[in-house]
Amino acid sequence: MNVSLNWLATHLDLSGKSIKEIDDLFTFAGVEVEGIVSKGIASEKIVVAQIMEAVQHPNADKLKVTQVDCGEGQLRQIVCGAQNYKVGDKVPCCLPGAELPGGFTIGETVMRKVESKGMLAAAAEIGLPAGEDGLLILPADAPIGKPVKELFESDTLLELEVTPNRPDLLSHYGMARELATLLKTPLKPLEISGANVSPASSIIIQSPAACPLYTAIRISGVTIKESPVWLKQRLESIGLRPINNIVDVTNFVLHELGQPLHAFDSAKLTGNIIVRNATDGETFLALDESEHTLTTDDLLISDESGAVLALAGVMGGLTSGVTETTTDILLESAYFTPQGIRRTSRRTALSSDSSYRFERGVDPQGVLTASAFAVKLILEIAGGTAETTTQVAGEAPVLTQPVALDAAKLDQLMGGSIPLADAEEILTRLGLTKLADGTWDVPGFRADLQRHIDLVEEIARVHGLANVPSRFFGAFVPASGIDAAYDADMVLRRRLSALGVYECQTIKLISDAQVSDALPLRPLQDGDIIRVKLPLSEDHAVMRPSLVPGLVASAARNVRQQAKSLRFFEMGRAFRNAGGGKAKDQESETLAILLSGGTAPAGWNHADRHADLYDLKGLINALLPNKTIRFSPRGRDGFALGCDIKADDQNIGVFARLKPSRERELDFTSPVFVAELDLTKLRKLLAGIDHVEDLPQFPGSSRDAAMEVAATLPNAEIENVLLKLAEPLLVSFECFDVFADPTGQKLPADRKSIAYRFQYRAADRTLKAEEVDAAHQKVLEALAQKLGVKLR
Amino acid sequence: MKEQIPAIQTEALAQIAKAADERSLEDVRVAVLGKKGTLTFVAAGMKDVPKEDKAEVGQLLNAARNAITAALEEKQAALQELADLAALAGIDVTLPARAVSTGALHPLTLIRDEAIGILRRMGFALADGPEIEDEFHCFDALNTPADHPARNEKDTFYFDSGKLLRTHTSSVQIRTMETAKPPVRIIAPGSAYRRDEIDATHLSVFNQLEGLYVGTDVSLPDLKGTLEYFLHELFGPQTEVRFRPHFFPFTEPSFEIDVKLTVKGQAPRWIEVAGCGMVDPAVFESINKTRKDNAFDPETVTGFAFGMGLDRLAMIRWGIKDIRLLIENDVRFLKQFS
Repeated sequence: MNVSLNWLATHLDLSGKSIKEIDDLFTFAGVEVEGIVSKGIASEKIVVAQIMEAVQHPNADKLKVTQVDCGEGQLRQIVCGAQNYKVGDKVPCCLPGAELPGGFTIGETVMRKVESKGMLAAAAEIGLPAGEDGLLILPADAPIGKPVKELFESDTLLELEVTPNRPDLLSHYGMARELATLLKTPLKPLEISGANVSPASSIIIQSPAACPLYTAIRISGVTIKESPVWLKQRLESIGLRPINNIVDVTNFVLHELGQPLHAFDSAKLTGNIIVRNATDGETFLALDESEHTLTTDDLLISDESGAVLALAGVMGGLTSGVTETTTDILLESAYFTPQGIRRTSRRTALSSDSSYRFERGVDPQGVLTASAFAVKLILEIAGGTAETTTQVAGEAPVLTQPVALDAAKLDQLMGGSIPLADAEEILTRLGLTKLADGTWDVPGFRADLQRHIDLVEEIARVHGLANVPSRFFGAFVPASGIDAAYDADMVLRRRLSALGVYECQTIKLISDAQVSDALPLRPLQDGDIIRVKLPLSEDHAVMRPSLVPGLVASAARNVRQQAKSLRFFEMGRAFRNAGGGKAKDQESETLAILLSGGTAPAGWNHADRHADLYDLKGLINALLPNKTIRFSPRGRDGFALGCDIKADDQNIGVFARLKPSRERELDFTSPVFVAELDLTKLRKLLAGIDHVEDLPQFPGSSRDAAMEVAATLPNAEIENVLLKLAEPLLVSFECFDVFADPTGQKLPADRKSIAYRFQYRAADRTLKAEEVDAAHQKVLEALAQKLGVKLR
Repeated sequence: MKEQIPAIQTEALAQIAKAADERSLEDVRVAVLGKKGTLTFVAAGMKDVPKEDKAEVGQLLNAARNAITAALEEKQAALQELADLAALAGIDVTLPARAVSTGALHPLTLIRDEAIGILRRMGFALADGPEIEDEFHCFDALNTPADHPARNEKDTFYFDSGKLLRTHTSSVQIRTMETAKPPVRIIAPGSAYRRDEIDATHLSVFNQLEGLYVGTDVSLPDLKGTLEYFLHELFGPQTEVRFRPHFFPFTEPSFEIDVKLTVKGQAPRWIEVAGCGMVDPAVFESINKTRKDNAFDPETVTGFAFGMGLDRLAMIRWGIKDIRLLIENDVRFLKQFS
């Protein structure tokens, strides 16, 4: 809300208060100051000057060389391009050193070889509202040499953000009342005489729930014209555009008292005013010329012709308003309940200064005051005759009730930082009255004060948290499972980062197209995708069912930035409808890793190597160094090389390579490997050891074997045979070479050679060579028998 | 023979001194001490030496062998030393390092971990809740009026099921109090969602950190002390902190917290970092209704809650000017946090 400081100062004495103090005052009252705009002339060095002479500039057609009197005892030469003045006129002269809006400082210059010692200014150049083209011509009696700022009223515009619980602050009077409370200065009384009222004879409220009170008064014989300067200035000072004297008065009263008013052209009304709900499909042409189809939920002002005169509390109709030809008006002042206005305003997307106030709640007790004030102003400004009484239909609802203040509870919440008497004094200043039974009567404009805690809130606010002591202790509580999970996640994050992988954070809403990059732990089925109802854009329409799409998009983005080494991970939630919509399956926590391109930046002493699937497997191994990580092939739609990832035989995730066609589509120049792992399982597997193993006391022996097998035989089959055999002396084995010759020269093309090193050891003795040989023989025989391996 | 031995020794020592590399040194050793070496040959003649001379010749022979062996060893060591020096001299320590790929934690993780670290030290435990929430936990139970603008489909993401994406982590307050009993002292980091167009200062998915402390005699001084301490730990002990009265449906009184940010070369300015307040009794009443008990009796139990935007904290901490950098994952950005 815009507030003019000059306007505010009509209600209380703000003299001696700096803008900074007023800013703080609002800030600590709970009103956010979003902007402070100074209006008017700031510099003292802009003075009244009389133009004594103006001659053609010798070197420029469009410039004149003037001699001006700034009251300095001698004339000042200034080059000027304006055409609208005559010698003898008084104009603003910016002396050297004068600072202009925009931070521009005037100096002495030479313009086309002629000295110019200052600048003669137009209105806009010195911070005044833009006027006619050319110099600002000042009144003939303006004293020469006087700072021009003294001739014009300056003002400060405050852009304030009022919280929704404080509709009473949505007016200059309301703001002034608040400041007076905080400053402990008196508020100047409003000079408004009460209205004479009579029961409504020509108003019918058909929807009393939505409109408990409706008042109207007819004023005939008004003259519609431009508003007087003071009124226009008031409206302009808060950024409103003056329209005509009647509309301006209603706007002025709204911003003065916070009560929205509406003036109808009486001539356009037929019979009684009827306040009713719209019929379904009824249309309304608003004064901003937008057309709306209404529902039975919308409240409108109508008459006996059935015409829709106004959307109640939101906006007047295009045809029922005051125009230049209007002579008689009907002035509406009413109380509409907030919920209805809010619904209508939201549904029609129509909002106005009126709806803004009604939907937050105006003071029902102020309805007639505002009307009386407007009538007084209209009669002064537009003439005419008002009816002797204001017609009143319904009655002002009482929205407040006495509230008790519990001294013990106040003491507890405030930590004993405020004596009860001080707290009561604050309530009194806020306009509350202590009743005989000890409860507090709340003024009508503070309908937000309904409960004990609301009073405490007011006391704390006015008292200020700065005056409350700080306390530094709290209850001891046990750590939760979430704590343990968080710690495990941080271990994984730090391990990955130490392994040279960058953590990413991608947006959890992805596009439909990205879903094809998803690699969830369980393949997606129909209906698994969760789609938001009104996405901001197609790019963010679906809750990610997997973290892989985000990583792929991030990697692709980095490829476009010429990144060579793509090593990314992300940890977080993935979302899906579980079959049958079991709610607890909807959010799962996963870890996704993506590797592509250089494994490390290339250097002078080593060639760049592109990451392959074994790099990613190695990363996962490094995350869980005490587990055996194995990939077990299982095709995944849309991916190549799909595998289940197993840690000690437990399924913990999925691995795949993007299809080469997808890689090309995204301009990747090297294979993209991705894995998605179940975080809940990883956290459990991360648990450390229970007890250490004894170190071997006796040496072991190793035997190597190069085994020729079918080229298609997976290494896992060899491992499986070895694991199943469970030869007690075989403590470990490792594959150290794989050789194939596609040309078929050294080895048939459909064969390959896998070389293993087997380690034999006994815990209780040094093995004899014969024992090792015998065990090794058993191993080789098993492999030959089960897989037909041929030893080379 | 007595004459031969010193001659051989002299000659050998001269050859050793002359040897310029290991190879020629080895040649000398073979020529003198090898199977057919000169000294070996002479030694073989010992058997022919008259008995009375044997001791003397033997001594001479031993002395010569020892002297030659010592010279060989000394020379060998000297040559090795030279070779080592030559090898080391060839190393250019100024060539660039062999690259090791570095990784980094995301700045949000860093700031979150720091914040969580401080709060856990202060005795808060972590809590959690779903991101796909229902209106009850996101709004109703948090005392948000039925027609509150935040419930608008323009501001909040809804699903056909009627559920929504939580607009704040405050729903975790409710989730926690539904099952726990006072004292409750939790923090909950997590994502929240609002239908904001993504621009330099807004994300539709952002990160919050929620806190809640409920117990007997939890008061405004507790709220103030907790948050002051936290912010001093996070931003430095000299940081000025101020509490501005504000309004939230689920706390009363409510405050927004600013810290005074001093950046070199800029005028100090107040920056909003968090919202907080005393838990509104209406929230406790709603919890009791759900729990069907009176564990959170507003007559005996009070509490405070706070929430802050982690993205914003990260932006303040590292001077990040565009919030989108936090979700674009450009390696050139991420690398800076290595």
